[in-house]
Amino acid sequence: MKTVLSNVAAVAMMFASLSAAAHDQIPGAPQSHPIALVDGTVHTIDGETIENGIVVFADGKITAVGSDVELPENCESISIEGQHVYPGLMESMSNLGLSEIGSTRSTIDTDEVGSENGNLNPHVAVNPDSELIPVARSNGVLLASIAPRRGEIRGQSSVIQLDGWTNQDMLLAADTGLVVSWRAFDSGNRNDGDRAKQRDERLQQLADRLDEARRYAAARTASPETTPTDLRLESLIKVIEGKCPMIVDADDRREIEAAVAFCVGQNIRPIIYGGYDAPQCAEMLKRCSVPVIIHSTYRLPARRDDAYDAPYTLPLRLYEAGVTFAIGGPGSGSPGGGSAAGNLPYHAAVAVAYGLPADEAVRAITLSPCEIMGIADRVGSITPGKDATLFVSNGDILQTESNVTRAFVAGAEVDLGSKHKTLAEKYRIKYRRQGKLPTP
Amino acid sequence: MRRFGCLLGCLIVCVFTPTTQAQTTREARPTVGLRTNPVQITLLQNATVVRRPGSVATETSILVDGQSIIAVGKDLTPPAGALVIDCSGKMIYPAFIDAYSEIDVDEIPDDGVKHWNGYILPRRSAVAAASSVSQSDAFRKQGIAVRMVAPRGGIIKGSSCVVTLDRDNGGSLLKEDVAQHAQLTIPRDRRRDGYPNSPMGAVALLRQTLHDANWYVSAQKAWEANPKLSPPVRNDDLACLAKSLTEGVFILDAQNERMAIRAGSIAREFSLQAILHGSGREYRDADAIAKYGLPLLIPVDFPKPPDVTSEAAADDVELRELMHWHFAPENPKRLADAGVTICLTTDGLDNAKSYLENVRKAVERGLAPDDALAAMTTTPASLLAIDHVVGQIQPGFAANLLIFDGDLFAKQSKLLETWVNGNRYEHAPETKAEALAGKWEATLSVADQDVPLIMELVQDKKKWTGKFIQVDLPESQPESDESDSDESENEETDAKDESADKTPEPKRVDLKGLTHATDRITAWADLSKADERLPKGPTRLTIVTAQKPGDEAPSLFASLRLPDGTQLHPTWERSEPEDDQADEKEKSEKEADKAPTFHSLKEIAINYPLGGYGVESAVASPKSVLFRGATVWTCGPEGVLESADVLVVDGKIQTIGQELNAPQDCQVVDASGKHISPGLIDCHSHMGTDGGINEAGQAITAEVRISDFIDNTDISIYRQLAGGLTSSNILHGSANPIGGQNQVIKLRWGDSMEAMKFESAPAGIKFALGENVKRSNGGDRSTRYPGSRMGVPEIMKDRFLAAKEYMDAQQRYREGKRDALPPRFDLELEAIAEILRGERWIHCHSYRQDEIITLLDLLDEFEITIGSLQHILEGYKVADRMLEHGAMASSFSDWWAYKFEVYDAIPDNGAIMHDIGLVVSFNSDDQELARHLNTEAAKAMKYGGVSAEEALKFVTLNPAKQLRIDNRVGSIETGKDADLVVWSGPPLSTLSRCEQTWVDGREMFSLQKDQQLRERDQSWKTSLINYILAGDTETDAGEEHEVEEEDRWLRFDEFCHGHDHDHDHAEHQHESDHAEAF
Repeated sequence: MKTVLSNVAAVAMMFASLSAAAHDQIPGAPQSHPIALVDGTVHTIDGETIENGIVVFADGKITAVGSDVELPENCESISIEGQHVYPGLMESMSNLGLSEIGSTRSTIDTDEVGSENGNLNPHVAVNPDSELIPVARSNGVLLASIAPRRGEIRGQSSVIQLDGWTNQDMLLAADTGLVVSWRAFDSGNRNDGDRAKQRDERLQQLADRLDEARRYAAARTASPETTPTDLRLESLIKVIEGKCPMIVDADDRREIEAAVAFCVGQNIRPIIYGGYDAPQCAEMLKRCSVPVIIHSTYRLPARRDDAYDAPYTLPLRLYEAGVTFAIGGPGSGSPGGGSAAGNLPYHAAVAVAYGLPADEAVRAITLSPCEIMGIADRVGSITPGKDATLFVSNGDILQTESNVTRAFVAGAEVDLGSKHKTLAEKYRIKYRRQGKLPTP
Repeated sequence: MRRFGCLLGCLIVCVFTPTTQAQTTREARPTVGLRTNPVQITLLQNATVVRRPGSVATETSILVDGQSIIAVGKDLTPPAGALVIDCSGKMIYPAFIDAYSEIDVDEIPDDGVKHWNGYILPRRSAVAAASSVSQSDAFRKQGIAVRMVAPRGGIIKGSSCVVTLDRDNGGSLLKEDVAQHAQLTIPRDRRRDGYPNSPMGAVALLRQTLHDANWYVSAQKAWEANPKLSPPVRNDDLACLAKSLTEGVFILDAQNERMAIRAGSIAREFSLQAILHGSGREYRDADAIAKYGLPLLIPVDFPKPPDVTSEAAADDVELRELMHWHFAPENPKRLADAGVTICLTTDGLDNAKSYLENVRKAVERGLAPDDALAAMTTTPASLLAIDHVVGQIQPGFAANLLIFDGDLFAKQSKLLETWVNGNRYEHAPETKAEALAGKWEATLSVADQDVPLIMELVQDKKKWTGKFIQVDLPESQPESDESDSDESENEETDAKDESADKTPEPKRVDLKGLTHATDRITAWADLSKADERLPKGPTRLTIVTAQKPGDEAPSLFASLRLPDGTQLHPTWERSEPEDDQADEKEKSEKEADKAPTFHSLKEIAINYPLGGYGVESAVASPKSVLFRGATVWTCGPEGVLESADVLVVDGKIQTIGQELNAPQDCQVVDASGKHISPGLIDCHSHMGTDGGINEAGQAITAEVRISDFIDNTDISIYRQLAGGLTSSNILHGSANPIGGQNQVIKLRWGDSMEAMKFESAPAGIKFALGENVKRSNGGDRSTRYPGSRMGVPEIMKDRFLAAKEYMDAQQRYREGKRDALPPRFDLELEAIAEILRGERWIHCHSYRQDEIITLLDLLDEFEITIGSLQHILEGYKVADRMLEHGAMASSFSDWWAYKFEVYDAIPDNGAIMHDIGLVVSFNSDDQELARHLNTEAAKAMKYGGVSAEEALKFVTLNPAKQLRIDNRVGSIETGKDADLVVWSGPPLSTLSRCEQTWVDGREMFSLQKDQQLRERDQSWKTSLINYILAGDTETDAGEEHEVEEEDRWLRFDEFCHGHDHDHDHAEHQHESDHAEAF
């Protein structure tokens, strides 16, 4: 415990000097020379964890990983002895950049008018200077999948990396999934018979809508000059042609089953987001290769009689059932949402306390969500050829008291300062001047 | 028995006196036209008469004259001209009294002397609406002759009356001003005022109003004694209520078992002569309710079983709901067993439908028949003070009688007649025409052919149908035998088609336009469809019947008018004897076999709280417990002890040390390799209360008390225990500068509401500043003061000054000064006066530095030390000022940006305040976060480098200090309460889990116990579902239900933070959603 504490103190001092230099956070400069992180514990995720390992990256890409690696010329060697390297954490569903102050509507850009908005692209509305972003990345969250929140067919999700001058700099991948809230296609009717009937009707409407998109696509291909464009239908084509998956927001067993059955029938690749009841449909999810993004583990049991730890054991139960899964953090809702995105590793940690192997937990917030979102060729693990989007932590990232000491997004070093750190330092100065705090 | 006989003797003597009395004029109405004087005497002869519960007389007659019973006895001789009704084989009971129903009553117009609050309506009387009592026949069919009717809506609702159902619509008033009605929540019918808008506020208003009624009387007297005083403002509602308080009865609504206890304690607080209007859920806490000794009016609207047909639907059904279905019919029995006086009412039933059936169910489930009868007759009569005229079969009583064809509680018995005030209502008049039903055969001579034809007439109660059936089949074959027809039933459609090929069914044609009267049937049919030899087109049929007394069958005089106008007069003879009765007998025997036997459900017991995870008996309190060999985080001067033992005796920590000796019979817990910490304490929570969190109807609501609405059944208590929480500060919400009073609780799962309260915790109150109190995050601009941060300290100061002046006035009066009206007892100012006297601690919701300083300045001016600053997210900016005041800080670890005033909140807040020397805690304000306050505390290590030992105190000792309960809890020290948590690893680690939680040396949670409870719940649920599916029980097919009282209210502070409960609370439409203008 002592060593950790002294590290914390050292890190705090380091921040003090950093934030004095950079009052507001400045995007990292493109990598100009090779960098090697040496003597740390390297959590590669897709391979063995390497004690006293070395990670080398150049021009924004990881070039070498191992315990015995020859460093290239001009290489800056950074000793991270006693520390850990992880790939950047990925928050699988967030409102980061789209939402600033929860109760102040003028700062919220997640909600569009209308219930069908498949054509929306959230990355176009990301505020790169949102104060929430530096706070999230200062705990290792370097990637986030963001999406609109309102309506039934909500829009596309985009994956952003959490550093850059503009929203375009930050965009890693667009069209990573069409987000659909399945609640709208189920029915809350208490009568099972009526419920089934209403559900059938709503599913038929959705199927009809997709047919409309297919016919539109055919018409556009055959004679574009006589077929006027329709942005909403355009956006559905990507899904029905299998170019992007459908991210189905569903927690209830009936919703999950219906969504998978529907998507299978329509040749659509579904991803379940939420997934509270997913273990009950594990067989179906496995056989249809449907991955699940768990909507946070620090969540209340959905039903009075559910086990108190049902949300905590959800990752374990999916793991044991062989279902592909990722663990989401506070999501885009609240309390928290984007402002609490930095707590993502603790959503994974609680799963470990309740039985999930620690390696699987870290994978569930790094490589797994990147695989599910189809960006694992770029990010998600410490693998040569991938982006050097990674960070150094002075302890196990699953443990609260650990702190991130350095971070890189595609090789560019990230300013780990934040509004929080600036204010903390500002008022510590106040009390130092009063003699109430010792001068460092 | 001898006494009974003697009484009968007296009655027989009385028989002849009434006839001479009958000449007396009994009403003032003048005669119009000729007088009418039919003989109104009736003798109900030779019945078994149950005169009152427990008093049964066989071969007894009842003599009724006009409205009243004038004699009851054996061998009564009917006076000449009396109508004599033979009741041999029948049973006669006193008719029932339905002791609760509600009716809409018009408002009292604004006459200038009304109460200021729209929910206080004591002058309303149900008499005004008695004429709109409807559906009397439906009630009479269930045996009810008299109903109590109470006004609907309001908190003090008005007075009820009793009506007799002797008219088709509208009752005859029997008694007015029966009781004053009140409820402890906001009525469902409609909003009448902005304040209160929560149950807590409703109770506060009720309490204040009862005090005000007493005060009003004393103020009136003081003024009368000294007219120089300025008189109290006239308020006729208070005067009316004062009268009820001194000489009346109160009926208090109790919408669930907790409301019954709350109503009981209000009755006790004001020494009310009270009756509770219950919910049917009292069995869940029958003994606690019984302790108040109040009679209960309880419904018998037992629920249908929930729909469990599909797997997913069954998963969504709560064990609690299944158990309620199972136990609700036992509610009357369990209350009676607990010694409660009960009345069985039609409350909740649709116009009394299935009242009798459900009462029988209650008897089947253990309620003694005499108790059941009393609960419908003598008990309501005496509670409603009408026991001198109704409720028994006695000379002089109203002739309210029920005539059954057997024992009232036997399933097959039918209620034949209800007599109300001497009026006879027959329910199942025996339909004599039955003789006509059945098959008749005649031969029709048409076109030289004799065509036999069967006519079948079927009677279903009053509805008649009929058909003609072919007799001569084309290729006459023997009729299909029984096994064939069985087969066709079993094999549905296939079999039917085949049989059509083999043996032709006789053709049939329905009788159309069939009209039945007592003496005739008319109809028409196309006879050719029954037999091709008969003419095509409509043939009209007329059958006239006549039956001499004594004849077995009626004679039929039938005529047929053929399409061509020819008239036939065939002779119809019975074609075959009827054998229906045998069928019916078989059917009823079958049903008897099916009668529910709850054998498979025997293991299911009522637990506390009812349903999942409830305990079957209070968690045991072992004499001594020894925890062996743990790493003990004492949070006291001893710091962290490795391989230490903790000895607990009588719920208190006795010794902490190495290798302690275990006392005799000591329970030893092997905790080697484990960590033990003090039980966690949450300094800011809104769980465990069902009174609405926020009373937002006024800016100052110091009179409101969370303690009135502790919900010991909240599943959050159990879930938070599973995260190591043992004490929690349940705070009022943040909608008001001065909010309601808080209640510190211990998480004693399975204990009573009262036992949840932390006995020695000092009183406290919620204050709030900033955006919430100026209500800036809602839609419309509010007109409520304050609307800015400037107004907040002003209104606080105003109330502090008011409380000072209030105390002075009280003091002057106590000292004997009588130069003013007696001071009014003001619950709001009483609470604020307690703050000024240092007897009540302020816990103030606060964010921004300016408002924090302003508040502390104001408190310093009044020499008040604050209990704690809550949230205090900019505390890091003014920690020096807080230190100077002596304030303590209870914060979130890292919440921010959910509204503008928390945009500068930082996670280092706790560490900075701690480093400056403030006592800092981290709280939850959230039912989920309260499940892992340990990992919240760890954030003080992450952000600002607080040591693990000190960080743990953020959720143990420090909140205990802030709540002034650190003499009892917060650390592991000798003499403190044994509130302990056993962790699998270091308590602050995200990778540790809580394995055991002990409160007062009682094991409230453990992984092992939790596993057992899960298995038990699963097994109970399975048994109940199997039972429901196996039976033919009609399930609840998604009918709309009224939301339960406790689910009408939010369980989080909607004003406090950016809660977005789209997942967790989507199902309920909460009342506060409708609260106006925030």
